[in-house]
Amino acid sequence: MTALASLQGVTYTYPGAPGPALEDAALDLEPGAFALVAGPSASGKSTLLRVFNGLVPQFHGGTISGSARVAGLDPFATPARRMALAVGMVFQEPEAQAVAETVQDEIVFGMEQQAVPPAEMRRRLERVLAELGIGHLRSRRLATLSGGERQRVAIAAVLALEPQLLVLDEPTSQLDGDGADAVLAAVEGLHRRGDLAIILAEHRLERLLHRVDAVVAVEGGRVAAAPPGEAAQTLRSVPPAVELARRLGADPVPLTVDGVRAALAGRLPAASPRVHPSPGEELLRAEGLTVAYGPVEALRGVSLSLREGELVALVGPNGSGKTTLFRALTGLVEPARGGVRFGRAPAPRSPRERTRHAGLVPQDPALALYQEQVAAEIAETLRHRGLPRGRAEVEAAACAWGIAELLGRDPRDLSVGQQQRVAIAAMLAHGPRAWLMDEPTRGMDGPAKAWLAARLRDHAAAGGAAIVATHDIEAAALFATRVVGLRAGEVVFDLPAREAFAADGPLPTQVARLVPGAVTLDEVVLPCAA
Amino acid sequence: MHPASWIGWVLAVMVVALATTNPFYLSLLLLAVVLVAVLAPREGAGVVSFRALAVFGVVMFALSLGIAAINGNYGDHILFTLPGPRVPEWLGGLRLGGPVSAEGFAAAAIRGLAILCILFAYGVFNGAVSPHRVLRSTPAALFQASLVVTVGLTLLPSSVEDLRRVREMRALRGAPGGLRELPALVVPAIVGGLERSLRLAEAMEARGYGASPPLPARARLAAAASAPLLIAAAWLWFYEADWRLPALGLFGAALALLALWWRAASRVRPVTRFEQERLPAAERAGLAVAAALAVGALGLRLTGAGAMDYNPFAGLPVPGFELLPALIAVASAWPAVLLIARPAPAPAASPEARLAPERAP
Repeated sequence: MTALASLQGVTYTYPGAPGPALEDAALDLEPGAFALVAGPSASGKSTLLRVFNGLVPQFHGGTISGSARVAGLDPFATPARRMALAVGMVFQEPEAQAVAETVQDEIVFGMEQQAVPPAEMRRRLERVLAELGIGHLRSRRLATLSGGERQRVAIAAVLALEPQLLVLDEPTSQLDGDGADAVLAAVEGLHRRGDLAIILAEHRLERLLHRVDAVVAVEGGRVAAAPPGEAAQTLRSVPPAVELARRLGADPVPLTVDGVRAALAGRLPAASPRVHPSPGEELLRAEGLTVAYGPVEALRGVSLSLREGELVALVGPNGSGKTTLFRALTGLVEPARGGVRFGRAPAPRSPRERTRHAGLVPQDPALALYQEQVAAEIAETLRHRGLPRGRAEVEAAACAWGIAELLGRDPRDLSVGQQQRVAIAAMLAHGPRAWLMDEPTRGMDGPAKAWLAARLRDHAAAGGAAIVATHDIEAAALFATRVVGLRAGEVVFDLPAREAFAADGPLPTQVARLVPGAVTLDEVVLPCAA
Repeated sequence: MHPASWIGWVLAVMVVALATTNPFYLSLLLLAVVLVAVLAPREGAGVVSFRALAVFGVVMFALSLGIAAINGNYGDHILFTLPGPRVPEWLGGLRLGGPVSAEGFAAAAIRGLAILCILFAYGVFNGAVSPHRVLRSTPAALFQASLVVTVGLTLLPSSVEDLRRVREMRALRGAPGGLRELPALVVPAIVGGLERSLRLAEAMEARGYGASPPLPARARLAAAASAPLLIAAAWLWFYEADWRLPALGLFGAALALLALWWRAASRVRPVTRFEQERLPAAERAGLAVAAALAVGALGLRLTGAGAMDYNPFAGLPVPGFELLPALIAVASAWPAVLLIARPAPAPAASPEARLAPERAP
C-alpha cells in the first residue's frame, strides 16, 4: 500500500532561530492510520504537524530541506487553498480558529470558499454534524459553547472539506476533563470510520496509547515512529501505570491499567505510603461564602480551611466555582454572604492587602509579563510589596523557583513552559504563606508538573500551604495532602488525599487501582533488581 | 431585515441629514430615526453597543454647543459675554470667550442634530446586524477585505478581556494602579492581541482562506487607472465649465474600468453560498423608497427649493417649512413599517447561553 503522507529527511529551521526545530525527520502514514505524536513541550511536535499541510514553511517562513508528499501533493509548494482539501488541521485554542458566528455558518464557511455546490454542502453538513455528535448545536452561537463543544465544531468544520488526513495539535490541552473526553471520543469515532488518517499530538497518553497504530516520539527535533508497545518501552514520560509495569520489567509493556493488572497478576509490589506531616495552625478560613453573578449563584455556602503544611487540590468540572472561590478568597469579588479570615483576624478588604498573605496565580499568568528581563519581573513584585529588591533578594527568589539561570533573559524569548515558571515565580515572589493557584497544570508536560509538585512540597515543608485548582488527577496526586471537590458551587467532598485518591475513593489514581495503599509511584516498593 | 436594507437606510439617512440645514426637517428626521431605533431588534451582537453610540452622539452634541460658546461668535443676538483673552489679529482671527450669540448656538445645534441623526442610524444598524451577517451578503469582489474587517472586529472583545485580566494580575502582584501603570497594562494586552491574531491567521491559512490568488494584471491595471480618470473627470466638471461633456466621457470610462475590475475580482475566487439571505419584495420596495428619499433631498438642495438651506446668521429668521422635504424626513422611518409587520421574533438564546459560568465578572 502506498503511503498517504510521507516525509523524507525533513530539516527545518524557523526564521532567526539558532538551531533547527526538526532534524532529518522521516515518517510515513498509511491511509486510515491513527498516529499519536508524543514528546515534551517545545520538542518539535507542533512543527512536525505543520509540515503536513505546508504551514511550515509556507506560513512560518524559514528554511527547509528534504521532501514531503501528502495525498499526492507537495506541501512545500502547493497553495493553502488546495492543501486544505487534502489535510484538515485543528489547533489548541478553540477561540483562535473560528471565523463565523454560528455553528452551521462555521462548518459551511470552508465549503463556500471552495465553491462546493449548495446541495452537496447540505449533505456534508448533516454528515459531519452527526459524526461529531453536535447536531443539537447547529444553530447555536459559537460564543455560547463550551471549549469541548467548540473543538468538536472545529473538527467538523475541517472534515466538511473531506480531507484524507486529519491533523490535531493538542486539541484538548485547553479543556477540562469532560470536554477532553468528548473530543477524544469523537476522534476515536472518526478513526473507526476507517478511511481517514489521523495524526494527533496529545499529552493524555493513557487515553490513546492502546488505541493508536503508531506512536511518533519527538524529542529535540528528532522524530522516531514505533508501534505503541515498543514506544511504551522507550518514551520518556508515560502514564503512571505503564511506568510501573516498565519498572517491574514487564515485557511486552501493557498499555492500559487493566493490561498492567493482568500482566503483573500475583507479583504486584507492596506500598509504602508517604506520611504527610500533620498540619499546623490555621492560615486561612472561608466561612459560608456565597457569590452571585446576577441571578446565578456561582458559590453556595462554601466553607474551607487551610492549615500550615497543607496542600489542597481543588477539583471539579468547569463552572463548578473554582475560579470564583479564589476570587472571593482574595477579595476580587464581594461575597453576598459569608466571610474570609486570615489566622485569627478577619481578612483585610483590598485584594492588594490580601494577596500579601495569600498570593493568587490566575490562569495563564504569562499574559502579564512585560519587563525585558526576568530579573526585572521579580524585582517589580518585590518593589510593589515594599520589600528589598537588591541582586541578592532577586536571586534568592529565583533560586527558590529553580529559574536562576533565566534571570538575564527576556521573558518573550523563553519557551512556553519557561514563561509559565517565570510568571508563577513573579506572582509569588513576595513570599506569601498561602498560595492559591488556578489551573497551573494546564498545558504543562510531565517534567513541568513534577517541577510544580516539588515547589509545592518545599513550600509546605517550610510551613506554607496552598490551594491548587486542577483537572489533572495524576498531577494532583503528586503533591496534594487533601482534596476538596466542588460541584455547582458547593463542596461535595473534603477528604485526606489518601482517601480521595484510593481505589474506592472519588478520584482513584492509576497506581491506586493497581497497588492497594499507594497513590503515586514513589509510594510503591520496587524490588531491588528493578 | 436584510443587511442590505439596513445599509440602504443608513445611507439614505446620511444623505438627507447632510442635504439640509433646516432644523425643522432635521428634528423630524431625528424623530424618524429614533422611532426605528425603538423598533429595531437589538439581540444581534453589535460590536459597539447602541447605548455607547447614543451616549457618544449626545456628548458630541453638547460639545459642539460648548465649543460654539467658547469660540465666540458673530451675530446680532448676543446672549451673554464670556471673559477671554484677546488673541492678536495675526493669529488668524482665533477667538476665545467674548460675546456668545444665539446665532452661534443655533448653528452649532443644527450641525449637532445632523451628527446625531447619522450616529443614531449607524447605531441601529450596528445593533441589528452582526458583522458576520454583513459578511455573508458581501459581493465576492469585496469579500477578502470584508473578511479581514469582520475577523478583526471579533478579536476586539477578547483584547478588552485581556486588558481586564492583565489589570487584575497587576493588582494581585500589589501594583498600585494609576496612570503610571498604563504601559504595564497596555503592552501585554497588545502583545497578547497580536499573538492571537497570528494564531487566527495561521488557522485560516490552514483552512484554505488565507490569501486569494492574485488578480490578473489587466484587472489590477484597470483598478489603478480608474482613480486618476475619476479625479480628472471631477476636475473638468467643476473647474472647466466648457469641458463638461468630455468630463462625462472620462467618468464613464472610469466606471467601465471599475466594472472590469469588479468582474475579475468576483471571479478570481469562485465561491458558493449555502443559504443566501434573500431580499424580500417588501424590503426591495423599502430600498426603492430610500433611494427616492436620497435623490429627492439632493434634488431639493441643488435646486434651492423647499427651504432646505437655513442660515441662522442672517438675523436668526424663522426657518421655512414645506410639505415635500418634511415628508422626506418623516418617510425616512420606512423600516418602522417593515419592523412592525414582521413575524414574531425567534425565541431568545438557549438557557445555556444565559448561564455563563465562572468567567462572568
